[in-house]
Amino acid sequence: MESQNRLWRVLLLALPILVFSVLVIWPLLSSFYYSFTNWNGFNRDYEFLGLRNFAKIWTDRLFFDAIVNTTIWMAAALVLPTLTGLFLALLLDRQVRGARIFKTVFYLPICLSAIVVGQIWIWIYQPDWGLLNTFVKLAGNPDFNYAWLARPDSALFAVIVAWSWQQTGLSMVIYLAGLTSIPSEMLEVCEIEGATVWQRIWRVVIPLLTPSTVVVVALSMINSLKGFDILYIMTGGGPFNSSDTLAMHMYNESFKKYLMGYGSAISVVLFLIALTIIGVYFRQLRKVDEIYG
Amino acid sequence: MADVATSVPARFNPWPATVFVALCILAALFLAPTAGVLLSSVKTTRAIALGDLWSVPDRIYLENYAEVLFNPAVHRYFLNTILVTVPATFASIALGVLAGHVFAKLPFRGSNILFLIVVSGMFFPPQVILVPLFRLFNGLGLIDTLWPIILVHTALGIPICTLLMRNFFAAVPNALREAALIEGANEWQVLTRVSLPLSLPALAVLATLQFTWIWNDFLWPLIFTQSDEMRTIMIGIVNLRGQYTVAWGVQGALSLVASLPTLVIFLFFQRYFIKGMTMGAIKG
Repeated sequence: MESQNRLWRVLLLALPILVFSVLVIWPLLSSFYYSFTNWNGFNRDYEFLGLRNFAKIWTDRLFFDAIVNTTIWMAAALVLPTLTGLFLALLLDRQVRGARIFKTVFYLPICLSAIVVGQIWIWIYQPDWGLLNTFVKLAGNPDFNYAWLARPDSALFAVIVAWSWQQTGLSMVIYLAGLTSIPSEMLEVCEIEGATVWQRIWRVVIPLLTPSTVVVVALSMINSLKGFDILYIMTGGGPFNSSDTLAMHMYNESFKKYLMGYGSAISVVLFLIALTIIGVYFRQLRKVDEIYG
Repeated sequence: MADVATSVPARFNPWPATVFVALCILAALFLAPTAGVLLSSVKTTRAIALGDLWSVPDRIYLENYAEVLFNPAVHRYFLNTILVTVPATFASIALGVLAGHVFAKLPFRGSNILFLIVVSGMFFPPQVILVPLFRLFNGLGLIDTLWPIILVHTALGIPICTLLMRNFFAAVPNALREAALIEGANEWQVLTRVSLPLSLPALAVLATLQFTWIWNDFLWPLIFTQSDEMRTIMIGIVNLRGQYTVAWGVQGALSLVASLPTLVIFLFFQRYFIKGMTMGAIKG
């Protein structure tokens, strides 16, 4: 019996593990390898540079900009969708009329591609007739034609808003799933004891939602670290690299300048950041499991 | 106590009404961007340029859609996207089913570690494997074909598919498997005749998720294809921007047409879609 099981394990796992190893694990490891080289994307040959690519990172002003932008991007992409998602989930948790339709509306953007979302928001930010400036004009500023995406001051934040619009639905459903696990008796007790709505939310509901918050926060960070398409279409990292994130920078160095060795070095940094987040996430998840069972 | 209402007026509870109104406003705000695209797609370029984008048109102008639907380049993009999305969705789920069965029903020493390694593949930015994969497929002469996109999406789908299938298979009672084995079935028959028929909801979840993600993907076709012949629809949207620079209506129509398959799937299989999103996120 056991020998048969062993045979079946091998038979069933062979293909998935082979595909995963060849197309995910191996490239991941060889990314480290190429980060020590100066491969240009076309030639067969390349030289070993040792740690020179990583030394270059320290002096690359664009890399520094990308780190700053990535930090802003991740922090905002963390706070905005999480708060709006929580707010919407709290509103929707009470049995409102039409809750199903509302949920569909808030969740809908998640099934759109980042390219389409970017396209939509390019129109909103369009200086002459975009929705945003149309409103500003109606509010009594008829000559207003600020180009939101073409100014270094606003480009990154404009994309963040578009990104948050799409991501809010995800944190909303995770919070909604979390809310269903709060026993209604507990809330009834609060009501009987005379707690106000705010006290109930701040002192009972939000603390009990901690497991969901851990998931939402980790997921938002990971997703924003991956975020590339929407920046590519809305700003391309510009103007003047003001919205250039690590993922964008890596793409530009590797596939625009064909510095694939240097690009690999940037991707190694990206990998280490992701690894840190995931490590903290799993640890928090275990802690939460211990507390909340 | 029949006259409670008159003696003690029932305290008016303002919450449901407030919440409802707040939700209506938020929903309107949320729908505005999409509504704008819908509006622009049924207007002439002239009307939009004159600043008349955000009003309801008195006449629906369908030329933009005709322009998109009769454009042979768009046909090509759609065909390519289908040729990528359908096989990659199918293959990633099939591989997830195989691995999920082993992790759920045939655990072995170290299988938990292996499972964790596979699942963590879900979390890494794709940029990390970009350069080596480009070199690999370049060496194989597969750049500017659809093969690398299909293969990479198949591989990147394995984590989520394995995770969901393992969780689902784990819930299938062991007694069923043992009974089948006693009746003389082999492991393959247990998987295909016992476990899989019970796991149709999980398959539906994965089919909707994978289809949507692969259809919407932009990065991999951007890296692996070069000629217009091989581009998928999301790249097509970007490419056609040049052709329709000021034809905002055409761009709007194109965005909507390109999103139609995923919108339809979302609206019809929303339940599965949401379940997949939360399961993938929470059990991860």
